[in-house]
Amino acid sequence: MASIKPSLRQFSTCLRCVRQAGNSNGSLNRSPLRLFSTTPNAWEEVSTQPTTPAAAVPPPPPPPAKDSPASETQTQAEPHSRDDLMKKWGTLDPKLVENKRDERRLLRREGLQPIGSRRRRAVLHRNSIRNTPEVPFEQLPYQCFQEARKILAEDRQEKIKAIETQTLRLNNLMAQDVGVSGGKAAKEARIRSMQNRIDELVILADINDPLVKKNFEDGTGDMNKPIYRYLADQKWRKYKRLILEQRVQQLNLVPDLLPALDLKVDIDLAFGRKKIAPGEFVDSRISETLPRLTVQSFEPGQKLVTVVVVDPDVPVPDKNSFTYRCHFIATNIPISPTETSIPLTRIEHDDVKATDAKNKKIALSWSPPWANKGAPYHRLAIFILEQEQGNPLSVEQIKKTKRQGFILRSFVDKYKLKPIGATLFRTKWDENMAGVMERAGLADQINIEFKRQRVEPLPYKRRTERMR
Amino acid sequence: MIFSTFRPALQVLHPSKLCTANALRQIARPQLQSTTHTATPAFQSLFSTTTKLQKKSLKNVVDPRITQIRYHLNHPLTPRPLHFSRNRHLRHWTIHRAWLLFLRRRRWAEERSLERQYRSMYDACEHLRLLDDNGNRVSEAEGGGQGPDAGRLGVKGREVGRLYRGAMLKRGVWGSVPIEYARVQTDFPPRDGWNHDWTR
Repeated sequence: MASIKPSLRQFSTCLRCVRQAGNSNGSLNRSPLRLFSTTPNAWEEVSTQPTTPAAAVPPPPPPPAKDSPASETQTQAEPHSRDDLMKKWGTLDPKLVENKRDERRLLRREGLQPIGSRRRRAVLHRNSIRNTPEVPFEQLPYQCFQEARKILAEDRQEKIKAIETQTLRLNNLMAQDVGVSGGKAAKEARIRSMQNRIDELVILADINDPLVKKNFEDGTGDMNKPIYRYLADQKWRKYKRLILEQRVQQLNLVPDLLPALDLKVDIDLAFGRKKIAPGEFVDSRISETLPRLTVQSFEPGQKLVTVVVVDPDVPVPDKNSFTYRCHFIATNIPISPTETSIPLTRIEHDDVKATDAKNKKIALSWSPPWANKGAPYHRLAIFILEQEQGNPLSVEQIKKTKRQGFILRSFVDKYKLKPIGATLFRTKWDENMAGVMERAGLADQINIEFKRQRVEPLPYKRRTERMR
Repeated sequence: MIFSTFRPALQVLHPSKLCTANALRQIARPQLQSTTHTATPAFQSLFSTTTKLQKKSLKNVVDPRITQIRYHLNHPLTPRPLHFSRNRHLRHWTIHRAWLLFLRRRRWAEERSLERQYRSMYDACEHLRLLDDNGNRVSEAEGGGQGPDAGRLGVKGREVGRLYRGAMLKRGVWGSVPIEYARVQTDFPPRDGWNHDWTR
């Protein structure tokens, strides 16, 4: 009996999925459904009772039918007792509920939909009862899948072998005399192309692995490995980078602030918990504090970067034009594929504590973005500038930079920086701006209001006069 | 004045409209009628694929137009969209990648095979070009056919590469009999026919 039991349970699981039809035809129809169970169900006992000769014995009270309409209306009238009733149902796991009743209860009590198909849930439930370990994904017994895995594994072996030979060739080439390989430039070009080929092979060796794909989709991929960096880069380039590039172009960051910009890192901008899409208008109250930057680099190794926030839309009424203003500079910030966060607030705190001037990172502290009333919106561009060969810059020297009339092109040229990423947000006069400006010490600017210059129309001329 | 403000409410409660709405609901949920949930009030039975979730949030009343659209999109006769489960999709993806890899390898093998055939034809032609009448191989300078003109004669003249020149002759190839029926270029019969004077 004990050996038979698991198979029976499996069988009954399948049967429970089947809707029980024709239950009005008495026990004759129902008996095949009972199958191997030794004791009849409660409802069977109830229905078979009147057929027995001892009809005079009053039937036992029917089991509490929880789903019957009468009890439902009753429980609706008394919510207290309904909650108690719901508690009696016990724990319902959305991954393991396997019959319709439990699914219904789960939806009603927890408001959760069951996960996966009923068949899968039944299997999982059975496995959890029996404590059977789950079959690992690679060992799932599907013939076509296993054959496919064989082909992929073979291909991977080929790729690994190719990597080995290519590495050997590369080493030979490196050791080769410059004269033999046809000049220094030719040798360097060959080395570069061979290294590119090796990188490509490293990606190709892992790109067909389903577990790599799964890990990447779950977000558990190790960004130190080239394959996950590659996949993340591809994903970024397919959507987020396109949007960012479009905003950068539409809001004219490129000709206004820098001559050219090749975006290489993924930047997420947020003020506290509020995430800011590139180019979004940000309330002045929110942007009063430092933002939080998440910079995902897709290239191996650590880099030192400088973060610059510039506002290129500061109006100059005397000249009827605009100028730049620098809102923030922080330098010597390390980033790497695994080290993505730039918590500027924490960096600021550390700066205050730091006694040694060398450990300081913030050259120009955050001045909250502000705009005069009536002035057009201000773009606040945030640039990530890579420092040359990871050399730290001197904060003391950068501190001399003037905020007003800050020109990013000359800054980049002076400190030999390379722009690798940019994002922006916009700000304009709003109801909180007066308070922000007062706290920032700009009380004299609050009452200044900009108005559009009236363009005088040309004097009217009669048609005949124009004709002359 | 007062009536005009109440008119929209009255229109909603118009009995004929209520009837149609109820009828539609009954069409929409024929299966639920047979189950034990007959006690659900009429205004609870908004059509939804997740009936119970709808039931939980009774307060937000759904626009009847949305109900209609949902009903026509999620008709019981319309099959539910097919989705693979996570593992199933990963297995499918694995098989698909292996299939693509297989196709790629096969294509590569076909290309190599064609290339090999072409090379061997090229080598054969090259051999014929430098072959003289006695079946000996001559040097590059003595043989003809250098450059684009296949009919060009070398130092040794017509004796070298006779079969090559014949094979390269494309006159009348495309106009008449298909090339598949062409005679293979051979060294026999000789140019001067049968030698009747020959004796042992």
